[in-house]
Amino acid sequence: MSQVVFSAKGITKAFPGTLALQDVDFEVHAGAVNVLIGENGAGKSTLMKILAGVEQPTLGTMTMEGNSVRFDSIRDAASKGIGIVFQELNLCPNLSVTENIFLGREIAKAGIHIDRAAQTRRTTELIGRLEHDIDPSALVGDLMIGEQQIVEIAKALAEDARILIMDEPTSALSASEVEVLFKVIGELKRAGVAIIYISHRLEELIRIGDYFTVLRDGRLAATAARENVTIPWIIEKMLGSEEVVAKRPPAIQAGPPILSVDHLSLPGRGHALALDDLSVSFRPGEITAIYGLLGAGRTELFESLYGLRPNARGSVRLDGVELAGHSVNRRMKSGLLLVPEDRQRDGLVQNLSVGGNLGLASLRRFTRYFSISKAHEAPLLEQIIKQLHIKTASADAPITSLSGGNQQKVVIGKSLLTEPRVLLLDEPSRGIDIGAKAEVFSTMRDLADQGLCIVYTTSDLKETHAVADRILVMAYGRITADLRAEEASDEALVRASTLKPETALA
Amino acid sequence: MKFAKTIAALAVGAIASVSVTLPSVAQDLIVIITPSHDNPFFKAEADGAKAKAEELGYSTQVYSHDDDANKQNELIDTAIASGAKAIILDNAGADASVAAVQKAKDAGIPSFLIDREINATGVAVAQIVSNNYQGATLGAEAFVEAMGEAGNYVELVGKESDTNAGIRSSGYHDVIDQYPDMVMVAQQSANWSQTEAFTKMESILQANPDIKGVIAGNDTMAMGALAALEAAGRDDVIVVGFDGSNDVRDAILAGKVHATVLQPAYRQAQWAVELADKYLKEGSTGMEEKISMDCVLIDETNAGSLENFALAD
Amino acid sequence: MSTATSSPAPRANGNASALLLLLKLRTFIALIVVTLFFALMAPNFVSVANAIIISKHVAINAILAIGMTYVILTGGIDLSVGSIVGLTGMVAGGLLAHGLQLPMLGIIVYPNVLEVVAIALLVGTAIGAINGLLVTKLGVAPFIATLGTLYVARGAALLLSGGSTFSNLVGKEELGNQGYPIIGSGNVLGIPVSIIILIVLALVAAYVAQRTPFGRKVYAVGGNERAAALSGVRVDRIKIAVYMISGFCAAVVGLIVSSQLVASHPASGETFELNAIAAAVLGGTSLSGGRGLIGGTIIGAFVIGVLSDGLVMMGVSEFWQMVIKGLVIIAAVVLDQLQRRLAANTRQ
Repeated sequence: MSQVVFSAKGITKAFPGTLALQDVDFEVHAGAVNVLIGENGAGKSTLMKILAGVEQPTLGTMTMEGNSVRFDSIRDAASKGIGIVFQELNLCPNLSVTENIFLGREIAKAGIHIDRAAQTRRTTELIGRLEHDIDPSALVGDLMIGEQQIVEIAKALAEDARILIMDEPTSALSASEVEVLFKVIGELKRAGVAIIYISHRLEELIRIGDYFTVLRDGRLAATAARENVTIPWIIEKMLGSEEVVAKRPPAIQAGPPILSVDHLSLPGRGHALALDDLSVSFRPGEITAIYGLLGAGRTELFESLYGLRPNARGSVRLDGVELAGHSVNRRMKSGLLLVPEDRQRDGLVQNLSVGGNLGLASLRRFTRYFSISKAHEAPLLEQIIKQLHIKTASADAPITSLSGGNQQKVVIGKSLLTEPRVLLLDEPSRGIDIGAKAEVFSTMRDLADQGLCIVYTTSDLKETHAVADRILVMAYGRITADLRAEEASDEALVRASTLKPETALA
Repeated sequence: MKFAKTIAALAVGAIASVSVTLPSVAQDLIVIITPSHDNPFFKAEADGAKAKAEELGYSTQVYSHDDDANKQNELIDTAIASGAKAIILDNAGADASVAAVQKAKDAGIPSFLIDREINATGVAVAQIVSNNYQGATLGAEAFVEAMGEAGNYVELVGKESDTNAGIRSSGYHDVIDQYPDMVMVAQQSANWSQTEAFTKMESILQANPDIKGVIAGNDTMAMGALAALEAAGRDDVIVVGFDGSNDVRDAILAGKVHATVLQPAYRQAQWAVELADKYLKEGSTGMEEKISMDCVLIDETNAGSLENFALAD
Repeated sequence: MSTATSSPAPRANGNASALLLLLKLRTFIALIVVTLFFALMAPNFVSVANAIIISKHVAINAILAIGMTYVILTGGIDLSVGSIVGLTGMVAGGLLAHGLQLPMLGIIVYPNVLEVVAIALLVGTAIGAINGLLVTKLGVAPFIATLGTLYVARGAALLLSGGSTFSNLVGKEELGNQGYPIIGSGNVLGIPVSIIILIVLALVAAYVAQRTPFGRKVYAVGGNERAAALSGVRVDRIKIAVYMISGFCAAVVGLIVSSQLVASHPASGETFELNAIAAAVLGGTSLSGGRGLIGGTIIGAFVIGVLSDGLVMMGVSEFWQMVIKGLVIIAAVVLDQLQRRLAANTRQ
């Protein structure tokens, strides 16, 4: 039994409107991999940020080697021996490996003259400790993702981190790079470093984890040591049992396939394929959920279907008509619509009003003789605002005055105004509260009952069951499961979501 | 590494391009540098110098420094690198040009300045300047006479940072101010520009409709003022310019402009080349460094024989 | 949540919203203040004739600023307009003075004035299209792309005449190309043609911006390019179109300027681009795109125009004129920031 170097007790973190963490205890063992696990929004990231000094807890105490500690900033935490490797690599691609590692704490003579020789020496030493031979003077932008990860780890170690937080370190790595990382983790463990490891990939966790902490809805769900942990146990603790939204059965029979995809491939980062020879078809009147982990290829699939990925290969047919080479505009006109995941970035134009945003994709519907006819526009906008229950003062209100859920409905409403036949929704429930979620799902059912073909993605298991008739699982750019909702068990979905290409279904 | 390579490539390229510009002919080179040729006055200078130099058997390179002292400096470097025997220069600033001319002298290349002086002696071999002051008094005398020695008038001044703008203005005033009935109701800089003279003249006309004359620091401004006067239907206003451009010549012949003052740019540049030729052959120009060249009044009596800043004999 | 904006503001917010209204109308207020000031200080400032002269001067900058506003609304910038003014003026002047030389056929064709105007407008629009293609298809930053065409167009203008002026562009009866000066100095019902051109262009531009799908797409591209693209807006086409509009406006100005002077000078239009940007910014157009009105730009152009003409009429020296203009532009941007901050505060 290894020693506890760090423990957090009764950690609570309140954000305006929500409690991200509620009374969570967390212990970190030296020379061991401490796994933190939970669904999206369970509070993992918040807890991790508190440990790394990015956020400060609202309530609760933290002790390190018996002494009470508090971290005012990420710099403060680092100086006390806590390093963090972020999921999105935080490196400057235009600087060298050495410059990145010593960014903000350069070894300098008299505080001004950077001692390059000393920095390079130390970098070589650190990289060597990680059993790599990356050139310290190479530009980070020229390195492969796996190598960049090594640089991140070296950066954390450069400050003699005794606790190293790794947030989804394998999400961008190839299988062989993952092996290297695990070896490095083994080395670090032997050197007595405590590792806090966050990942969705259950097989991975079972393989390298020593102590497990499961979070659910901001609360501590369970803790256990390796010998007592199985995958079904994790899933059960992670998901709990209550339903998200009451499910409504479909009112109509699904029709024959309207959208079919054959042998679709898309190159990804490095040598991996973002989409790997994928074939599937979708039917009108049916809601299909695509479940998968981050980087499984869901967004890439949608973007390829929508014509945003010009280097996608394969065939996409809508009503038997091949779409290859068609622009976004043309695909929209033939009835295919994408509701993007990041509505701030991709969905809304902040300087336009609610009505301006709603009408943006279907201006031609109310254009008369070159100009936008208010007389034709207003009733359509009113109708869609009513249909989707968008809570807004008027169609002329600024889009920024709406809540997240209502903004999301505006993005959906914009798509509906184009009178689509196939609606692709990328993470439609991301960032909106539970009540708004229920409304969005209910809207999706209404649309399906009107004969639309609805496909949405989610990385939340419960949301697959909330509304879908059919559930697809994606992993590594392939479809690893295709099930009717009623026969899809949580365990089967989670297993399918981590299937490596070698073992994936065709 | 990459950086060093780039530098090396640039250096090789620069050396290669310099060697290309080295003259392959045996003729001696005279480099002619003037302000931008978009002003026909400077074009006439360059044309005059080039024609004379080629007549005397020199090869020429003609550059424009666009009144940018820094660019002038680079052009002098180019002239030195090209092995010029002499430089004919209408400089880019009385103080800012001294160092550049000195550099040419240090490299053994004599400079012959035209049109504008520099604030140093013994650096250039010759400085031939039109007597702007004398010219301005000529113009002012014609202006006063045409105005009947009385009335409201407007003065359009050139770019106020330019020496000649000030010299011409003081030449005008030293004459006009002797007549107490001549009243200047507005004085504005139009920066030597036709467009600016046009808009400013229109505004001035609004504020002061009762004007009888406009005296402008150069011909382009006189033409801009004329366009504004014509647009306002004012054909009774006496306009006097300075420079002797073809446009103003035509306007004088058409009775729209009263007079202008010719700076014999073409002749002056030719004279500079003749002096350079003499200096290169005999080691001396036989004249003082500072040479003043008188300006000539152009009115309807002699406008017909003016062409490209050269008055036919 | 949405009710917060529509409910009457509490007492404490009353002053803030009154201030906000003043800030929103700042350009208009500035115009009134400047006009009143000169009415008191400058001789003969208040007269119909002077109002017409000022409008005539403003027209040049305002027409450029209309095109510039479209470009800035998409988040771009067009530095080449001043050079396009010079080049199109030279094209028109050259065609009138020397005709179109066709060396293969050994003849010179003299187009009539309407054809000259059409060709010049085409040249301006084409340079705009080149700007647009550079920005969209080749991904050159607008600042750089149009800086490049600034030099190219200016150089081309100088090359057309070898640097000299095409003067006396009245045309010849036997060539059938008379009438060019009408654009710059003609009148219709006592109103100069250039002002009529400004009014027509401003009305069309404002209408297109506010009432047409194209206008809405311009705002969308400037507000969120990706969202616009995902909504089926062909972003590249919109961008190319705005640069073409800007080039067209610059060509119109090139014609007006050369027609006013009855001469075309290759250096004309230098630094016009900066005045156009200043007018747009003064009028409340945000350089980051998506925000601004044609009406605001026109008022901005009038503030600058009234200021420069009034100072000339008061006899203020050129140097002070520049200082004052600069201060007004800085003040405009500072007030704009203030307004945005205040608006953000009152919304919370």
